[in-house]
Amino acid sequence: MLISFYILAALAVGGALSVVLFRSPVYCALSLVATFLCLAGIYVLLNSEFVAAIQVLIYAGAIMVLFLFVIMLLNLRSDKPLRHSWTWPKLLGIGFAVAIIFQLIGIFHSPAARMGPAGKYSTEYLQQKGAVEVVGEVLFTEYVLPFEIISILLMVAVVGAVILAKRREPASTEQTP
Amino acid sequence: MSPGFTQTDFLSIMPEMLIFGMGLVVLLFDLFGQGRSTRNLAYLTLLTLGAAGYLDVMLLGQFLPGFGGSVIADDFSIAFELVFLVVCALTVLISIRYLEDRGLNHGEYYALLLFATGGMMVMASGRDLLMIFIGLEILSISSYILCGFLQQDRRSNESALKYFLLGAFATGFLLYGIMLIYGATGSIALQDIRAALADPATFQNPYIWMGLGMLLVGWSFKIALVPFHMWTPDVYEGAPTAVTAFLSTGPKAACFAALVRILFEALAATRAEWQQVFWVLAALTMTVGNVLALHQDNIKRMLAYSSISHAGYILVALVAGGEEALAGVIFYALAYTLMNTGAFAVLILSSAGDRERVNFSDYAGFGYLEPALGAAMFVFMLSLAGIPLTAGFAGKFQIFKAVVGQGYIWLAVIGVLNSVVSIYYYLRISVVMYMQPATGDSISTRPPGSVPLYVAIVGSLAGVLYLGIFPGGWLEMSLHSVSRIITGG
Amino acid sequence: MNEYLWLIPALPLLGFVLNGLVAPRFGKGFVKVVGPGVVGLSFALSIAAFCEMLQAPGQSITQHAFTWLESGGLYVPIAFVVDRLSGLYILIVTGVGFLIHIYSVGYMGDDDEYAFWRFFAYLNLFLFFMLLLVLGSSFLLLFVGWEGVGLCSYLLIGYYFDKDSAATAAKKAFVVNRIGDFGFIVATLLIFMNFGTLEFAEVNARAPGVLAAGGGLVTAITLLLFLGATGKSAQIPLYVWLPDAMEGPTPVSALIHAATMVTAGLYLVARMSGLFVLAPTTMAVVAIIGAATAFFAATIGMAQYDIKRVLAYSTVSQLGYMFMAMGVGAFMAGIFHVMTHAFFKALLFLGSGSVIHAMHHEQDMRRMGGLLKHMPITGYTYIIGALAIGGVPLFTAGFFSKDEILWQSFASPAGHPLLWAVGAVTALMTAFYMFRTVALTFFGESRVDKHTAEHLHESPWTMTLPLSVLAVLSIVGGWIGIPHVLGHGVGIGNALEHYFEGFFAKVPAEVAHHEASTELLLMGLTSVLALGCMYGAYVLFSRNLARAEALKKALSPLQKLLEKKYFIDELYEWVVIKPVYYTSKLLLWRLVDVRIIDGMVNGVGNGVRHVGGALRIIHNGVIENYAVGIAVGAALIFYFLVY
Repeated sequence: MLISFYILAALAVGGALSVVLFRSPVYCALSLVATFLCLAGIYVLLNSEFVAAIQVLIYAGAIMVLFLFVIMLLNLRSDKPLRHSWTWPKLLGIGFAVAIIFQLIGIFHSPAARMGPAGKYSTEYLQQKGAVEVVGEVLFTEYVLPFEIISILLMVAVVGAVILAKRREPASTEQTP
Repeated sequence: MSPGFTQTDFLSIMPEMLIFGMGLVVLLFDLFGQGRSTRNLAYLTLLTLGAAGYLDVMLLGQFLPGFGGSVIADDFSIAFELVFLVVCALTVLISIRYLEDRGLNHGEYYALLLFATGGMMVMASGRDLLMIFIGLEILSISSYILCGFLQQDRRSNESALKYFLLGAFATGFLLYGIMLIYGATGSIALQDIRAALADPATFQNPYIWMGLGMLLVGWSFKIALVPFHMWTPDVYEGAPTAVTAFLSTGPKAACFAALVRILFEALAATRAEWQQVFWVLAALTMTVGNVLALHQDNIKRMLAYSSISHAGYILVALVAGGEEALAGVIFYALAYTLMNTGAFAVLILSSAGDRERVNFSDYAGFGYLEPALGAAMFVFMLSLAGIPLTAGFAGKFQIFKAVVGQGYIWLAVIGVLNSVVSIYYYLRISVVMYMQPATGDSISTRPPGSVPLYVAIVGSLAGVLYLGIFPGGWLEMSLHSVSRIITGG
Repeated sequence: MNEYLWLIPALPLLGFVLNGLVAPRFGKGFVKVVGPGVVGLSFALSIAAFCEMLQAPGQSITQHAFTWLESGGLYVPIAFVVDRLSGLYILIVTGVGFLIHIYSVGYMGDDDEYAFWRFFAYLNLFLFFMLLLVLGSSFLLLFVGWEGVGLCSYLLIGYYFDKDSAATAAKKAFVVNRIGDFGFIVATLLIFMNFGTLEFAEVNARAPGVLAAGGGLVTAITLLLFLGATGKSAQIPLYVWLPDAMEGPTPVSALIHAATMVTAGLYLVARMSGLFVLAPTTMAVVAIIGAATAFFAATIGMAQYDIKRVLAYSTVSQLGYMFMAMGVGAFMAGIFHVMTHAFFKALLFLGSGSVIHAMHHEQDMRRMGGLLKHMPITGYTYIIGALAIGGVPLFTAGFFSKDEILWQSFASPAGHPLLWAVGAVTALMTAFYMFRTVALTFFGESRVDKHTAEHLHESPWTMTLPLSVLAVLSIVGGWIGIPHVLGHGVGIGNALEHYFEGFFAKVPAEVAHHEASTELLLMGLTSVLALGCMYGAYVLFSRNLARAEALKKALSPLQKLLEKKYFIDELYEWVVIKPVYYTSKLLLWRLVDVRIIDGMVNGVGNGVRHVGGALRIIHNGVIENYAVGIAVGAALIFYFLVY
């Protein structure tokens, strides 16, 4: 268990890094897919197959495919290699980012660190009732309000995408600078 | 967990539901009303805001937790919601002509404003970390899009993109913080977290502290506290001016509302520590914001930096804590909204066509060419600088008084010094307006007036003076509305 | 019956509103009536209030207008108090203000209509704030007035905004005043912290109980208050704005920068006498700063050629005098001098204004001379003013108040013979340079250029009437405070002393006994020497200009130093302004803003129009640089919280 977790985690981190470091947009997108798949694997290790399935379906499947389509349609290639210049602010930033990582590692290894009380949704409970049913029930009772309001959030995102993407002529005046 | 919902549940989120619902209606009207004047949509938006304000006032004095305690309609949320409604209404008023000049008067704009306002209201009334987070995201995404609303303008696009990327970065911190706190306490409800922290073992858990740190970083970014402020000037300068007015007032107030809720309702036990962090951040924010504002030649940019330092003043109140100081937060939120939006309204009104007049030199002799507008601008600047008999003074006084009352004399001294420095650049506008002769570059032709803009200016002006001369009413309401936050009831 | 008190400040406010908003419709005539009219009414009400206060039990009358702020134990009403101190002040402010308003009708008469109503609107607004300052019952209300008068002063100094120097001077005044305000605000906060109230009466009454006498806290509070006072009342080191403030129209110099606003600092110290006497260190500082300013400014005044600048430095010097009096615990003497100074300094300024008016805005005394025969009323009243400030014994107001200060600085328990000596030398210099202006302006050969000479004329009655009234006051105004050594023999009591009986707190020390003969001797000595100085200056500068020139040559380095005002402005420029400016610019703006933000922005916009630009932005470094700030801040915060 632990070993598979470490392998998946390392792959996920590696994938995330390559998203940032690859020059070609297609490679970046594919690395992201890899990261998502590794995350799905970790969810499986955590006994939440449902979340894992959703992760693969939505992120790795739907969203990333769309990404790739867009990239290929627009024919984005790394036409000009982008140079990374190592300015001092950047080095400073990386230094402190590493510091943050070590701080995080530090707290997870701290002897005082412990998890809070576990809720009622134990693994047994989930397996007995079925994860989908439990999620559905919680989503439409306890968390119905956030669930509904998230639809507004998605709505805003969709409207925003349309606004930003759609080229349209100015409505009243013809001339624009 | 009960499957059914009671009337109280719905009552508690009535204003939010109204705003979101009407946002959708505005979108639909825009879809089917193609070609007709979108001014009507703006007026519909205003009507909606008024109705939501009415609902809020009706709910005043209530204490209605809804949906299992994840949201609440109490005086605290209502006070802030009223501020947001004012912010949104003023933004709508100053947007109409601005967008028409650019041929961009689309209904989506108003719908997005309504959604953003709804998001802010959810932030103020959310009582668990999830609700607050969703509210924040609705607000943020609407804001990103609003920043990029001038599609043809490169700077506007750039502003949206920068805001989006850095905002996502900060959201990461926020989410990580929520996760850590959830992990350590087993709950996202503010009350439960408070209860869990009563246990000394939980209190010593480093997850709590790391989580607190992550939350502080996330919120500091959203509020633009130094050193998390660097995105502000670019985003504010590039965004449409009306949106800049919105961004520098509403979202900050909303973030403060959420921050106060989280810190005082859930994490009150850790107060001694975050107080110290905020002490440093407040001092830095006030000082850096001011010093940078000193050198700007672009008024929009100057106001952007000055909004950083104003956030610093409000943060001072959070350091002090206590009923007095938190009332100062609410009071200052409204005061700042009025004076800042008022100043932006004057900027917009004097910008003719799509040529923006945002440089100091554009305003040479403005006080004589446009005595009434010049006087209004002057008052707004005085208020921003904190000269007595204006809202800005009353707000600063309330905050600094509370801070001194709590013994933070040095922070108060830094704050006062900063407000002394700020006079210099606020006054620069009036120097240009009144003490430099009009040149060919300055505004010589009167741009076509717009009734909504005049309403916005007169409204803000009246508000600034009213809050400055009779601060009692709003202050009392602010005091009243924070009392329960402090006691943690 | 004191419900009318609010009208005293409200009337000028009404005037401001009328002049500012309605006047453009009605024209100049309307402004000429409304501007001075409201002040006149306010003056009448002030007299009524004063008389009522004299008979009122507790020697003060109060009106609570409404509650301004009420929060957490702090209750700030808008309340107006007329007591011994504010009663006198409102009489000075509205009385002298009224005269100067009338004068302005004549003086500003040539300005175009637009400038005319603006001027009166500002002037009325100033009086509103000044009266608020004086009548307010608490620090907060005083602060409102304090800021308000600063603002009006700023607007009026910059009145001739097409002159560059005027705008610069206005800004300087405002900025310097803000430094003082900082002290005031912090002192107010400290007072609130320790007393829980901001009402003057309560703070003064409870001061001995709350603050340990001579302790660090009371010293800090009073020093901060005094810092505020030095800003407003132009004392070392914040005096630099006042001479430049002469860029404003002359009636403004007379009203704001001589008679009223600049004495606000003294008002503050006098008002808080209960606190100040608890802090002997502060008192010593006040006295020394006052004496130093008096001396220092007087020396500069000796070498200036601009008539208004001489008067400006003389004002700084006289204000120093008053602070010296307060510093030795002689609050009454200080306030006495505030009053007499208001009369004769307003007179001198208005007289100089009358000259400037006739000379078509020529202010250089080297181009005047022999004006007495052209404008006799102006000339004689100006001379009366000069006699008063020079302290001609027994019949000018200046003599009594100045002598009172000198005697107190010698004899008071907190006094010192050295203070007396500095004061006495200053008095002699004052007499000298004032008669230098008299001689250069009104006597001797005319050095007026031909064109101007043809148009020389006496000013209209609106200007000469206020001059005459002020001249009378400059003589009789001192009679209310005749010292015992002089008055006792002929049966005249010291009315002022009786008036202020028990009002001010006293320096806690036993009063040393001094022989009446000592007082008479010192008085006589300074008087005789002052007369000598006046005569010397008169002779030197009216008939022997050549010799004066020779003298100047002989003293040329000193002369240069004085003429350039000890290079203090330059010093401030180099030591304070430039370093601050460049530090902020180089360090913060260059480094943080330009390098990290602005520098990057420019490179960015170009690619964004293509969708591909979206990806490029991530790579080209801007966002990364912004993120650096977040990472650094985050790491530090985590470190603090967790470890």
